[in-house]
Amino acid sequence: MLAFAIRRLLLNIPIYLGILLLVMGALRVNDPIHFRLSKNATPEEYQAVKESLGLDKSLLVQYWRFLTTLDLDTESWDTPGITVGEKLGDAVWPSLAITLPALILTSLLSVVIGLVSAFRRGTSIDRGLVFFAVVGMSVSFLVYIVILQYFAAFRLNEWMGKTLFAIQGYDPTQPGWWIKFCMLPVAISTIVAMGYDTRYYRTVMVEETTKDYIRTARSKGLPERTVLFKHMLRNAMVSVVTRIMITLPFLVTGSFLLEVYFNIPGMGKVLISAITAKDFPVIQGFTAVFALLFIATNILTDILYAVVDPRVRLS
Amino acid sequence: MMGAIWKSRGFRKFRKSKLAVGSALVILSYIVLAIAVLCGAISSDDIQSRVGARNVNGFGVQQKPEKRWDDAEFYVAEVNRALTTPGPEAALKEIRYGRIVVADRSVAELQGIVADANARMDRLANEAEDINEQPEFWGQLDELDAVIAKLFRAPTGWDGFVQTMSLSCGTDRQGRSILARGLYSAMIAVAIGIVVAVVSVVIGGLLGAAAAFYGGWVDYVVIWLYSSLSSIPSLVLLGVIVFMFAGSSSENTLLPVYAALCLTFWVGPCRVVRGETLRLKELDYIQAATAIGQSRFMILLKHVVPNVSYLLFINFSLLFVAAVKSEVILTFLGLGVKDGASWGLMISAAKPEVVNAFFWQIGTATALMFVLVLAFNLFTDALQDALDPKHIA
Amino acid sequence: MSRLALLALAGFLTACGGDLQAAGQKTLRIPIPTDGPKNLDPVRGSTMYENQVCSVIFEGLLQYKYLKRPYELEPALLAEMPKVSGDGKTYSFRLKKGVRFQDNACFPEGKGREVVAKDVFYSWKRIANKGNDPKSWWLLDGQIKGFNEYRDEQNKAVENGGKFDYDAAVSGMRLFADDPYRFELILVEPNPTFQYKLAMFQLFVVPREAVEHYGVRFTRNPVGNGPFMLRKQDHWTTAKSIWLYKNPTYRQETYPDEYGDDDKKAGRHKAAGKRLPFLDKIEITFFVESQPMWLEFMSNNLDYTTVPAENFAEPFVRRSRKLRSRWRKRGATGYAVPLLDFIFRGFNMEDELVGGYTKKRAHLRRALQLAMDQREINDAFYNGINTIYDGPIPPGLAGYPPNGKAPDSLRGPSIERARAELAKAGYPGGKGLPKLDFWTGQASQAKEQTEMLQRQMRRIGVELNIHLVDFSTLIEKVHKKQAQMFSFAWGSDYPDPENNLALFYGPNEAPGSNSFNYKRPEYDKMYLRMRAMSSGPEREKLAIKMRDMVLSDVPYMGSMARTRFYVVRPWLLNCKPAEVFAGWWKYLDIDESKR
Repeated sequence: MLAFAIRRLLLNIPIYLGILLLVMGALRVNDPIHFRLSKNATPEEYQAVKESLGLDKSLLVQYWRFLTTLDLDTESWDTPGITVGEKLGDAVWPSLAITLPALILTSLLSVVIGLVSAFRRGTSIDRGLVFFAVVGMSVSFLVYIVILQYFAAFRLNEWMGKTLFAIQGYDPTQPGWWIKFCMLPVAISTIVAMGYDTRYYRTVMVEETTKDYIRTARSKGLPERTVLFKHMLRNAMVSVVTRIMITLPFLVTGSFLLEVYFNIPGMGKVLISAITAKDFPVIQGFTAVFALLFIATNILTDILYAVVDPRVRLS
Repeated sequence: MMGAIWKSRGFRKFRKSKLAVGSALVILSYIVLAIAVLCGAISSDDIQSRVGARNVNGFGVQQKPEKRWDDAEFYVAEVNRALTTPGPEAALKEIRYGRIVVADRSVAELQGIVADANARMDRLANEAEDINEQPEFWGQLDELDAVIAKLFRAPTGWDGFVQTMSLSCGTDRQGRSILARGLYSAMIAVAIGIVVAVVSVVIGGLLGAAAAFYGGWVDYVVIWLYSSLSSIPSLVLLGVIVFMFAGSSSENTLLPVYAALCLTFWVGPCRVVRGETLRLKELDYIQAATAIGQSRFMILLKHVVPNVSYLLFINFSLLFVAAVKSEVILTFLGLGVKDGASWGLMISAAKPEVVNAFFWQIGTATALMFVLVLAFNLFTDALQDALDPKHIA
Repeated sequence: MSRLALLALAGFLTACGGDLQAAGQKTLRIPIPTDGPKNLDPVRGSTMYENQVCSVIFEGLLQYKYLKRPYELEPALLAEMPKVSGDGKTYSFRLKKGVRFQDNACFPEGKGREVVAKDVFYSWKRIANKGNDPKSWWLLDGQIKGFNEYRDEQNKAVENGGKFDYDAAVSGMRLFADDPYRFELILVEPNPTFQYKLAMFQLFVVPREAVEHYGVRFTRNPVGNGPFMLRKQDHWTTAKSIWLYKNPTYRQETYPDEYGDDDKKAGRHKAAGKRLPFLDKIEITFFVESQPMWLEFMSNNLDYTTVPAENFAEPFVRRSRKLRSRWRKRGATGYAVPLLDFIFRGFNMEDELVGGYTKKRAHLRRALQLAMDQREINDAFYNGINTIYDGPIPPGLAGYPPNGKAPDSLRGPSIERARAELAKAGYPGGKGLPKLDFWTGQASQAKEQTEMLQRQMRRIGVELNIHLVDFSTLIEKVHKKQAQMFSFAWGSDYPDPENNLALFYGPNEAPGSNSFNYKRPEYDKMYLRMRAMSSGPEREKLAIKMRDMVLSDVPYMGSMARTRFYVVRPWLLNCKPAEVFAGWWKYLDIDESKR
């Protein structure tokens, strides 16, 4: 087991090194200093900026620095006076306040719907549920946001005479802040994500229902409910957990569309403004951290798999 | 090979499902539409030229009074400007809103009508303060409309039909036909969907199959490549790609969009094909083929590819949908389509119109996209049911 | 994750709690469109939104009179207006006594000390230090005697590993040992517009202690002497919001007693003579998208808002530009604030195809100008509320033509004339003319606007090749003289035509502000003469002459100025929105009973 874990770890190190190299390279295709300098810089100023940013050093030295610090201690270019690390650290919580509940809600709802759908396979309930899932995912995310912000926040508040869902904002010091600021964004992302998840879980469940152990359980005359919850769901849980695990690192990227429209100071917004403002240290730092998270969850998933299914270890 | 697939058990099953056939027909009609647009049914001129005043409602729904007044003012000003240029006849001929042209009247006659309309509007301007809230003036608007109708020649026959159609979903801020733009965008969407999905599936499929089949360092490189790519957040990846295209000659084409999407999309098919090939490799007949000394490439081509092709089909339709939807987001970010029309452009342009309760543009783009994406989603499901031996409906 | 879950739980549990706002607190809630300021160091600031926030935290020597139109300056930190010597070169200043910096940890015992003359020079010297990444060196470039030399010397010293010496003497900056409030400035040449710069936020006064204490983080820990202060760093979330609190040690400043009839009618005179500021807190929210901003305002969560052009017809009647009766009934008031704007599409006069001063080239540019229909653009994208005018001098300033129409106006659309001009240029019907490269920055609707321009040009047979690029690329292209045609805008820094006429002064060529690379020796001579003149009819005549010269050469097409419309809620008192200057939030008051 330990050998397996170490092997996975070693296998992923070159991947990580490669990503960092890739990002560093891609961001240096167009000279980043041009974005940093004011309008009419002299060659000396250019050189000075280059030195102050450490871009005059050899790529190897830069790479080593990037590897060891992830550039988290460098100053953001777009918003001077704040480091990349602080910027990312501040933005991650608001993002998670949306994405984490959305993931939980989506997973819960879609597992249940998937289960019901699979269990009532072929009936009109099944077809109806699948159809709704598909309809939900056939409209652009942007349209949902624009329309629901108008109707579910503005018009609803107007109609009720008090604020249920805020039109925008994020202030965790206020009482009831989560419902006020996060509920609607969470609902929107759940609607959009549910289509995909429902279909996936339905397929997983349907597949389980054809397995031998279910047939055996049924033939033993166990009540349907026991078959469904005790046997099937437990086995299907592996797929559910895997899918959730894979999604986990993406939670920190937030959703820039939601964050822009609902004015939530999350990671998506930070990233987008970093990209448009060419805030090169932020892009670099974020990518490094994200890759780290991504690979860590990958390894973790692999190990979990190996624990559940010993055959995996052999391959 | 196509014939064999058509006759296969899976496809027979597919053909039996009404939903599947229906969605296939819808997709087909979009493709036909796209081809028609490509052949010039809707030209790039049609999507740029004026067909009327700005933000006209669709389905002939009547405007708010003030907007009617605005529109009247617009038409009168246009004709008036032509009348005041040195050669009014030539200038009048240039006024054209889709199929509507200035009526065959003498300059003096037109001047009279314009003067009449202007007098009416001046009177309104003096009396009405907020015409939307003053129903007593609405009658005057009807009269004004009647005067303005005299300025133009209403098209009849085919021209009339075309004009009605181009106004059927209203006009955008520049007075361009929303329907024409929406339909033209369907072509763009289909183009993006097909190109991105085909390229991603082909690249992903080939790399995946090769990785699994040859194993060793090939496998390692492919895994390294897709692991690296998928651990860079797609937003950053897209930003970097578009950033790299900035300033190049293909900047205003669809190439950056294709490149950005393909780069992130090929990973999916690559993964599943690699997995499936790994499974296939262990099967007896391939082992046997290897044993009798067939070249590895031939085995890959003859035995492996046909057996994973169903995965390619399914992935194709999944990626098609994803590409069409990504275009909207990319365009919102200013990284997507830049020239002509696309659903993304329409939705982005329509954002501020929602608070003004003008839903025509966002509605048309969304509806057209909804039907296509819905059809493709249902089609994918049916395809999966029919082709995936493990997939049970 | 657990911390988050706990927070979320706490949120649920206390969901029924009321507003925690302390009673009697006056809070102003306002929006800033776009993602707001990126830093709050005056020297690094450049955008209008940085200006707005910096202007209530810091103060400069002069400020604009709040209620007075046309605009007029008055002393802020100064005890009286500066005295200018007979030759117009020496300025003598005297500071108010007893003005203190805001209390901050950077001072001994956290108590802000008094503002003295050497703080002014220290603050200005910071703009010479390239290490501060100053955005507005042009303000003082070549203005103060010995200052350019000082800048070169000190920056060279830094390059050689030394330090930037803020104590080194500058011959044009004089302090007096016996009087810490007195100082003098010697200019290189007389310049009557110089005093406008003394009211610009880039030259506002900062305490040396704070800069040295916070280092580069001063950008996020602003310490000034203004009416409001950033109390805690986490009161400012970049791109989301900033909260400012009243500065309890703000200098003795009262509401102006100089007002006009319109102010009296609007009740803006009632507060005259009362101590400023009235508000306890300002909550500013930044909006990247206009939809949430507009919806928040409609829900009464904002005290005033600027009206996004696309929403204009909701509160205003388009024709009369008056607030709709429905809105007036609810007590809202509307304001139209003209901006000193110059939005144009420029030509690179050094370009081989569209540039040059020969007749043929001028005909080509005229043809394009005549084909352009600004009214159509105005109607489609601004609800028709912008002002279209001739020449580079924006409305309201000396040299602006009556009704915006210059005598030899080449304003389009005049398709027939445009075609004739095009033929004279040697391209009848556009034949033989290659596609023209048009560069524009990526902003909302920029793409649609260029599409419309493309369509208008097509009417005379001219094709545009559109380059939609991000803003930094656009600037780079223009500064390298690589953009044949480009879409740009200039907002006047101060209400004087000199500021805009400088855009055509030869030595200002790219990468300077003369993006057109317009070079006419006669023009340059007139400009220099005008710069040294103080305002009067003769100066205006000169400005008109220069304007008409530019107009006939057509180095750009179409001038447009925006008008910013404000809607103000009834409980916001003393509100007279201004765009030329910021810092007027300190005059505002809230009547909480009307909320």
